[in-house]
Amino acid sequence: MPPAYLGEFEHLLLLAVLRLAGEAYALDIARELDVRAGRFVSRGALYTSLDRLEDKGLLRWKTAPGTPARNGMPRRLYTVTPAGLTALRASRQTLRRMWRGLEDLLEEPTS
Amino acid sequence: MSRPDDAGDRRPPPLAVWILGRVLPRGPRGDTVLGDLVEEWQAHGATAAATLRFWRQTVSVAVRYRWRREHVNEPAPAGERNTRMSLDNLVQDVRYAVRSYVKAPSFALTILFTLALGIGASTAIFSMVNGILLRPLPLPDPDTLVYATEVNAGEGRAERTISVAWPNYLDWRARARSFAALALTREEPLTLTGVERAQRLRGRRVTGNFFALIGVSPAIGRGFTDSDDAPNAAPVALVSNGFWQTQFAGDPAALGRVLTLDGTAYTVVGVLPAGFEYLRPYDVFVPMGPIAGGGYLTDRGNHNGFSALGRLKPGVTIASADAELRAIAAALEREYPNSNSAVSVRTFRLADRIVDSVRQTLLALFGAVGFLLLIACVNVANLLIARGAGRQHELAVRAALGGGRARLATQLLVESTLVSVCGGTLGVVVAAGLLRLLVAMAPEGTPRLADVRLDAAALLFAFGAAALCGVVFGALPAFQASSVGGSHALVRGRSAGFAARSHRLRRGLIAVETALALMLLAGAGLMMRTLQELTQVDTGIRSDHLLTARFVLAGEQWTPPRRVGFYDAVIARASALPGVGHAALASSLPIDGSNWNSIFIVGDKPVPERSKLPSAAFTPVSTGYFETMGMRLLRGRLFDRTETPDSAKVIVINDTLARRLWPGEEAIGKRLKQGWPETPDRPGKPGEYFSPWREVVGVVSDVKFNGVTNDTPMQVYLPLVHDYARSVALVVRSSTEPASLVPAIEAIVHDLDKDLPLFQVRTMEQMLDASIARERMSMLIFAVFAIVAVALASVGLYGVVAHGVTERTHEIGVRMALGADARHVLGLVVRQGLSMALVGTAIGLAGAFALSRWIDALLFGVTATDPATFAVVVSTLLAVATIACYIPAWRATRVDPTTALRAE
Repeated sequence: MPPAYLGEFEHLLLLAVLRLAGEAYALDIARELDVRAGRFVSRGALYTSLDRLEDKGLLRWKTAPGTPARNGMPRRLYTVTPAGLTALRASRQTLRRMWRGLEDLLEEPTS
Repeated sequence: MSRPDDAGDRRPPPLAVWILGRVLPRGPRGDTVLGDLVEEWQAHGATAAATLRFWRQTVSVAVRYRWRREHVNEPAPAGERNTRMSLDNLVQDVRYAVRSYVKAPSFALTILFTLALGIGASTAIFSMVNGILLRPLPLPDPDTLVYATEVNAGEGRAERTISVAWPNYLDWRARARSFAALALTREEPLTLTGVERAQRLRGRRVTGNFFALIGVSPAIGRGFTDSDDAPNAAPVALVSNGFWQTQFAGDPAALGRVLTLDGTAYTVVGVLPAGFEYLRPYDVFVPMGPIAGGGYLTDRGNHNGFSALGRLKPGVTIASADAELRAIAAALEREYPNSNSAVSVRTFRLADRIVDSVRQTLLALFGAVGFLLLIACVNVANLLIARGAGRQHELAVRAALGGGRARLATQLLVESTLVSVCGGTLGVVVAAGLLRLLVAMAPEGTPRLADVRLDAAALLFAFGAAALCGVVFGALPAFQASSVGGSHALVRGRSAGFAARSHRLRRGLIAVETALALMLLAGAGLMMRTLQELTQVDTGIRSDHLLTARFVLAGEQWTPPRRVGFYDAVIARASALPGVGHAALASSLPIDGSNWNSIFIVGDKPVPERSKLPSAAFTPVSTGYFETMGMRLLRGRLFDRTETPDSAKVIVINDTLARRLWPGEEAIGKRLKQGWPETPDRPGKPGEYFSPWREVVGVVSDVKFNGVTNDTPMQVYLPLVHDYARSVALVVRSSTEPASLVPAIEAIVHDLDKDLPLFQVRTMEQMLDASIARERMSMLIFAVFAIVAVALASVGLYGVVAHGVTERTHEIGVRMALGADARHVLGLVVRQGLSMALVGTAIGLAGAFALSRWIDALLFGVTATDPATFAVVVSTLLAVATIACYIPAWRATRVDPTTALRAE
């Protein structure tokens, strides 16, 4: 089975989950996207995208107990599945191939 | 500032949480999302800004999750699947419908406007009908309240209401078994003096049992009792809440205060609750005591303006109560033949009696507005069908893609229901405005206007009408459209079957619409003719430049000589005003009706049996009255300065009396005597009534005496100096605008007696206008309905013809390519359009004739099938129809054959 194709936003989501190393729940992910990628994402888009990645088998989650601040409601802690890692690697490969030879043109100005 | 310490106590917006509960999946999958949102809300300090943010995110989650479920087949929360599915469909249908209307705003606006008009007008008229005719009287147990009055039902004479004689009432009360209680009341305007400015009060005299019977107790103080009716009882009064507020500023200390009414001191013993009304609004109620024992009251032959009010015993019907009273009246007729011959009684439900005068008008208007509503519905149906026809391709595609027939029909129904709900809402707004206008325009004296309002029943009516429009008239096109076979409509081109079918239906609807419009137009035409006839009635007087005002010389102090002196002074000073030609006094005025009707006997004729005695309106008038009114002297002389209290007793009669009693004879010099044959003709014992023989000295032209529609009664005019009426009207003929004399006249009367209020101050023209106000208003409403109806019908006709032309562009192109000229095409289209209008006209004529008896009672001087009116109505309608057909026909002639053929 070829690795799943990742859209740009899905790509960012998987990376954010990886960066949070097993402690990722939705609010952390949103904050990571905001801080690192400068992307403010609506909650509707966030949850449905996470669900979609789950449907594709690239993410999985377990529940963690809630806190008083959330009226005792549980949290969903996400981890990237091996299929997710494969998809990310494949995606990076593709990008690398496409980048090759364009470094001079697209390198950010250093000064 | 956020205050984290109490943030924990607060809750996120419950509605948003509820919505999330509906859209999110059950279990941890949903709870975690909700938990995140709550946590974020808390983290933002649970402030208003946080709440706003919570809402924004709720919306985004709701939209995304719903979309996802619809498109990814995610199962809906368990157990809700079926309802959710159909609810989803409904939401989808509504959304789709809104979108399609927004895309075609002129179509949607036309429908909305039509519906708002139809529903608004009918809801407004319904509110009138409901408030005045249907809603129970605001009195306890109103259905057991009956109104009874005596009538003179003499042979060969029209039955006349003559009011109840006091002794007869006492006998009813003693003998009748149908009533738990029986009261007697009469309207009795009273003059309030001893205040800064004397006032004319609206008063009603009632027997002591009246308030207990009607079941209303005073808000403060006490009611009346039987002992208040005793001749020696201290005079007491109950005042209305309104009078209490204006006169006593709502002060409870008003109890015990004294009101001087017609010269008698009445002590206020109670204040009636706000909103209490019997027949009409009154300022003050007084018991029988102050007039009890009076000779005129105890005379069985005197009917002094009273009517009876009864409370039926449980289980007794009005019919049986009526039968019992009639039987008692028949017994009294045998016992007292002198006074009671030909006197019987009529009983009514109180509520019916109150609204009797307007029932016919209101029902006719309600019928008319029903037609208008129907026309609006038909028009909407027409528009929806036309749209359905235009969308057959779209529907066929959807059907081919698996849209079930029921599903498609549902969607069309949703569309029509949506417009009708919006139309109903707009209609309520229109109705509120219209109702305010109608109440403001209602003729004076329209009963129960206070009960007219836009209430729950009216809202129910409006939305019921809207739902009917939507469901019935929306179902028609829905059925039409959903029966489209998927395959054949998909074949692009002329799918003749469906188009022809929808076209037939639309043509039928147009015919119906035209028929309804014709009936409304006929009603309006007949009402217009009626009004025209009414305004052209020869009243027998010169009504221009004539001012009238009434006053009453009530109380012991107004002895006959003082009254005569006062009359002379008023006439002399009014005549001396600049611009005044004549001034005179009369106890009754033309149009206004008589204050004194009486039987009489004729000197040179055998006295007929009692039930066949002639009756006339007796009117005391001052010298100069006939000249002031502009009446013509036919024979003999008018009253002049030779009339003094001691001069020979003379009378002037009207033409009707002269012709009826002395046909072909000279009436001048004949004698008659007002009253019964046995009434003495000269004074006997002091206080005993007598009536002298009077000689006819003149005959004057007839005047319209009781409104403009009633036939002139026999009339006898006698000099005011021979019958010193206490209640008189001053009439002044001026060369200037008569209304401008009001302050001067008021000043004269106030100067002569400061305790004498003038009332019913109006010009004769105002009086005439008021007498036909109801007809004028009905005509106006009918006319507006008719114009709207014709406009709607012609728009409908235009739409159908125009649509037909569009559909037949190809055919017309072929015809023209084959050499048909423009005139031929024009004729073809107009003929086809007009054929619908003609069919409708025929149906409408038949309908109008069938309904003619319903409108007959509202007409005057014109029959309900007046050929001239119908000729005008039919030609007007057909002219409008022709124009409506001509415009699209003309466009048809501009079809370029090559374009039309290439379009294939």
